[in-house]
Amino acid sequence: MSTMLSRRGFLGMTGFAGLGIAAAGTLAGCSSGPPPGAATWSMWSSSAAEKKVWDDFGKYVEQQLKVKSVASLTPSPSYPTKLDLQLVSGTASLVTALNGTLIPTYAARGAHRPLDDLIANDPDFTLDDFYKTSKSISSFNGKTYAIGFDVAPTVMYYNKDLLNKQGIPLPSPTEPMSWATFRDLCKQLTKPGQQYGFTCAPAIDDLVSWIYCAGGNVMSADSSRSTLGDPEAIEALQYVIDLFVKDQVTPPIKNLVTESSLSNFMQGNVAFMQNGPWQVVNARKAKFDWDIIPFPAGAAGSKPRVSGSSFAIPSGVREGAELDLAWKLIKTLTSTGALDIYAKAGRNNPARLSAGSAFQPPPDNLGIVQEILAGKLAGGHAFDVTTNWNQVKQLLGQDLPRTFLGQVSVPDAINGLTPRLDILMRQHLDTVRQATARKG
Amino acid sequence: MAVDLAPAVTTPTPSRPTSKPTPRWRSREALTAWLFILPSLIGFLIFTAGPVVAAGVISLLNWNLFSSPTWAGLHNFARLGPDPTFWSALGNTVYFTLVSVPLTILVSLALALLLNQGVRRVAVFRSLLLLPYATITVAVAFVWIWLYIPHDGLVNAVLGWFGINGPAWLISDNWAMPALILMSVWKSFGFGMVVFLAGLQAIPQQLYEAGRVDGTSPWNSFRHITLPMLSPALFFVIVTSVIGSFQVFDQALIMTNGGPGTRTTTLVMYIYRTGFENYDQGYAAAQSLVLFAFIVVITAGQFLFQRRLVHYDN
Repeated sequence: MSTMLSRRGFLGMTGFAGLGIAAAGTLAGCSSGPPPGAATWSMWSSSAAEKKVWDDFGKYVEQQLKVKSVASLTPSPSYPTKLDLQLVSGTASLVTALNGTLIPTYAARGAHRPLDDLIANDPDFTLDDFYKTSKSISSFNGKTYAIGFDVAPTVMYYNKDLLNKQGIPLPSPTEPMSWATFRDLCKQLTKPGQQYGFTCAPAIDDLVSWIYCAGGNVMSADSSRSTLGDPEAIEALQYVIDLFVKDQVTPPIKNLVTESSLSNFMQGNVAFMQNGPWQVVNARKAKFDWDIIPFPAGAAGSKPRVSGSSFAIPSGVREGAELDLAWKLIKTLTSTGALDIYAKAGRNNPARLSAGSAFQPPPDNLGIVQEILAGKLAGGHAFDVTTNWNQVKQLLGQDLPRTFLGQVSVPDAINGLTPRLDILMRQHLDTVRQATARKG
Repeated sequence: MAVDLAPAVTTPTPSRPTSKPTPRWRSREALTAWLFILPSLIGFLIFTAGPVVAAGVISLLNWNLFSSPTWAGLHNFARLGPDPTFWSALGNTVYFTLVSVPLTILVSLALALLLNQGVRRVAVFRSLLLLPYATITVAVAFVWIWLYIPHDGLVNAVLGWFGINGPAWLISDNWAMPALILMSVWKSFGFGMVVFLAGLQAIPQQLYEAGRVDGTSPWNSFRHITLPMLSPALFFVIVTSVIGSFQVFDQALIMTNGGPGTRTTTLVMYIYRTGFENYDQGYAAAQSLVLFAFIVVITAGQFLFQRRLVHYDN
């Protein structure tokens, strides 16, 4: 029997079909997710090479724990936002990777749980094998909130070919040069418009190494006030900004958003670039010979910033089998075996002393990274941050670049910034007090 | 004799009892209409009205996203007064709107008038001119960063042909905002142009013919026929452009990150940073409500003017 479909009937059917599809989609959306009992972990990943490393981590986890590994990979710029939303909505993985500068931010707000009880109750785990600076970066308010997977000091990359071409002797891999020598070298190597002595990002992340070397810091030891106006910090800021504005030994700044010291260096016409060993994997694509040396020594010696990343457990993972699996997973992801995979891929220096550094040359001088971390050569300074570091960084990111452009003098910029930085320091102390009170 | 002019009162004759008529809103057509409106209505309630109400509630709280919120009352609104970055961001947004909206409308209108002059293959030109609007802002912003490079960018190279030494656009205190405005005008004129072109093509030709018979000059014809007849389209484009300009975000974030200093920090960028980078949800919600109120007041003002300036056929 055939029936004629009226216009009204057709419209009604399409309406109901639409609602049906929407409902099915919603249900399908609700039912997706990792299988129960899976070892879920989240990590940033912005390239195929990085993804390969995390895939290998996943295989290692499955081999060790005999459960399915589900890694949630997100491009690094959007990783913190996605992590925030997952933490708030209770959909975060059992273990999440954190950049060291964000650990106090998350810890103070109760987003991640302290790990001290888990460490104390586990005879198979000790923090002794981790570099001291990694432990320092992963702690907040006297408690361990994360376990490191990489840690490294800032070093100075240099273009061997460029120095050889100019007939300049290669710098010592063991004796950091003085700032005065470094400036002279940069001037000697600069041919305006063609070749430059030095490149770095016009941002606090790169400036802190110079500030530490001069004996200064961004904030006082008790974090109660900004110390960027102290003579040591001013000296460091003035030194670097002079390299840009007065000595003009740096490539001209084209814009403040996509400026990258690595891309300047990779063009082959810049002699020195400050950066971390995490860029070794990219610097290997250079069409010239290069190596690394310790950071130039200021009045306080060579004390570049040491930064790193760690794995942490969200506070939503409370107890029982879930917490047990999360702890096993964090141990596996930061084990010597996993960090060997990381090191062999040349991603960065592993956070464990026992994890091999399997980087192949270049750079020939890679060994200095571990010597700096161990305090045998020069010395590093853990990257000191506050619980509102995003705000501090944002504030500094507004006004410091203008000094690099010669729009504002260093003292004027710092004088303008200090009252606002002091307010942020007071807010930081309030946050620490609240976090301390919350834990009883 | 007095005449009774009052209408005669007729006694109603009892009528047959009839069934009560179905109210219009319960008719079959109305129900079908509701069924079709429903998805959109649900979407509006969940994704537009809901967040506005939620923002109202959150603005009264101290909430860092991860810990339980605490009551703040009107404290978040009180924080707006002494916050220089908020006022600077608001000033930048107003500056952006005041310059970019008139410029965009002028360019859109000029191009629409040009295309309406019987240009051959008008569809091809219309499509080409609409391309910037159809392209995603992120891609356009990256291209414009490259165009604005101080020493070897295309913009300064072209200026150089005329002996002009171009500024360091995106890193200049004075030129960063004009650079953003220029890019935004280029990006958005296509939308207005299409609306104006449709409006121009709907104007009855008899009006122009009558004008010609009366010896009207082209300028008077534009002033007394085109503009009044186009005023509904003009009004629509002005309202949507002003609302869009107050919400400017992506191009500023990508091209200047709000700098140099806070020269190009817009209000939406500041709200985003406050809420999602500084974890200060209550304060971000208070800022967003102020922006909302600002847009509502300006739009309401535009609708008030509409009565006097916009000409509708009916």
